[in-house]
Amino acid sequence: MNELQIQYKKILADYIENQTERNLYIGQNFIRQLIQKKITPEEVIGMHKHAIEEISPDLPPASAHGYDFLIEIMVHFGLTLKERQSLLERQEELRIEMNVAANIQNLMLKTTVPNTNQIDIGMVSIPIRKMNGDYVHFLMDDDTYVGVAVTDVVGKGVPAALCMSMVKYGLDTLEYAENNPAYVLEVLNRIIEKSVDDSMFVSMFYGRFDIVNDLFTYGSAGHEPALYYSSVEDTFYDLESKGLLLGVMPEVKYPQFEVQLQNNDFIIMMTDGVTEFRKDETINSREIIGNLARSLCHLSAQQMCEAIYEELQKLQKFGLEDDFTVVIFKK
Amino acid sequence: MRSTVEIITEWDIVTARQLGRNKAKSIGFGTVDQARITTAVSELARNIYLYAHAGEIIIERLEKDGRQGIAITATDNGPGIVDIRCVMEDGFSTSGGLGAGLPGVKRLMDGLEVQSRLGEGTTVRTEKWL
Amino acid sequence: MMNVNVQFREDGNVTRGLIEGEIDTYTAPILRAELDAIRVANGMLIELNLSKISYMDSTGLGIIVAFYKKVTKENAQLKLVGLTNRLGRLFDITGLSDLMDIEMDKKVELSYESI
Repeated sequence: MNELQIQYKKILADYIENQTERNLYIGQNFIRQLIQKKITPEEVIGMHKHAIEEISPDLPPASAHGYDFLIEIMVHFGLTLKERQSLLERQEELRIEMNVAANIQNLMLKTTVPNTNQIDIGMVSIPIRKMNGDYVHFLMDDDTYVGVAVTDVVGKGVPAALCMSMVKYGLDTLEYAENNPAYVLEVLNRIIEKSVDDSMFVSMFYGRFDIVNDLFTYGSAGHEPALYYSSVEDTFYDLESKGLLLGVMPEVKYPQFEVQLQNNDFIIMMTDGVTEFRKDETINSREIIGNLARSLCHLSAQQMCEAIYEELQKLQKFGLEDDFTVVIFKK
Repeated sequence: MRSTVEIITEWDIVTARQLGRNKAKSIGFGTVDQARITTAVSELARNIYLYAHAGEIIIERLEKDGRQGIAITATDNGPGIVDIRCVMEDGFSTSGGLGAGLPGVKRLMDGLEVQSRLGEGTTVRTEKWL
Repeated sequence: MMNVNVQFREDGNVTRGLIEGEIDTYTAPILRAELDAIRVANGMLIELNLSKISYMDSTGLGIIVAFYKKVTKENAQLKLVGLTNRLGRLFDITGLSDLMDIEMDKKVELSYESI
């Protein structure tokens, strides 16, 4: 402290002697050191008072009283500063904890795309922030059925992530890819409605592909309809199925429909766009994705997904502000 | 070597401050430390005035292993503190962004102890050493 | 800075609420607090006008559904009016339009008639 006192006096004396910009700059640099050493404002004023009294010993008593007054007042500024520093440290701790949580979450919800000769499956799922609000879950039964659940948790952050875990848990318990969509959605709805907060719910598109018969059965719980492309007709169809979001009401029945896949047909399931609403939005994202996919249909399902994501990224005006998930089933 | 001030009116806080400052000065604390000790007394007395409405501040000189110090004790028979951990935490809700309260007192002094019983009262003791 | 504003008035036995502005993660708590503050009684009819909402994301939807559940639990009724095309589609896809009492924005309906 003594060392700093001597340095401070010298810098102050220099400025009093010569009011140059350089001396002010030196003074500011010195303060930086003090702040790093966690010297409080009132201590600085104490140093200043001490230094001034040595530099100009014949100052009027009012001057000394003035400084004492200032020191007294400064104590509160000093406390506020310390609290802020403490809160910043706490914030950093929390941020690190969040990162760890996000990593664990991502590990737990890692999705492996099934590999089968009968159908080409691709997937891209990119979160807009640390934790992905979308989740894709595959079920596969020994070359008979492939099940896919494309989920969008309505909400963000930690509560949404916890909700996601519920979804994964539910899907894991259901185990068999053979389960039909209406059943899966009904069960999941019950699980989520029971366990989650009133303003938390989930949209899900569930599909079951019958490998032997090339039949795709699907159902939706408040989710964006999938797109089906018929190669023979060179036309897109919306795979719609009206069902309530999961977790809103306790007992809900879900309809399901099916479509027969021919060679070179494909189905695109996605998540973005369901829960975003901007009044001036004139873009028809579904049309864009459809046309894009059609132009890329010579690629593999995975390549198609990646290309679609890249193209949409480029279209800045698309304003991607949500987690982005696309799953393609290609015959 | 202890002095006591009863805290009932707001002006009693001033009396307690005066006592604290005088004691600190006589023990040998410098200007800045005097300001800190006085602020600590002020905060503790204010807590009594605001929440318990009546209590006392006790200021004493300490001596240990040749070192000099000061101890401030604030006691009251007020409502008590519901969650001591809560009042010891930084945060805008408790201090209003002013950094004061018990966490503030802890930063001004060298140590702080709190004892409280709901419905019976609170005792806070804090020390500072030269 | 996004903002949301909620105003309520009693109109006979109907409580009418007008929601203006943007509902997202940041403004949603304000909307939620306003809706939570309403004392819902048996037989009440509450009408929420959504025509002046310029932006709503999933959080807003959550707040409205939570409010709907609260209202239904107290044997009262909730009606949403003034939905634009976009909002209407959102409620449609999520199945909420079948569940809740919803009325599209009259202005929008008129423009369809003129075609």
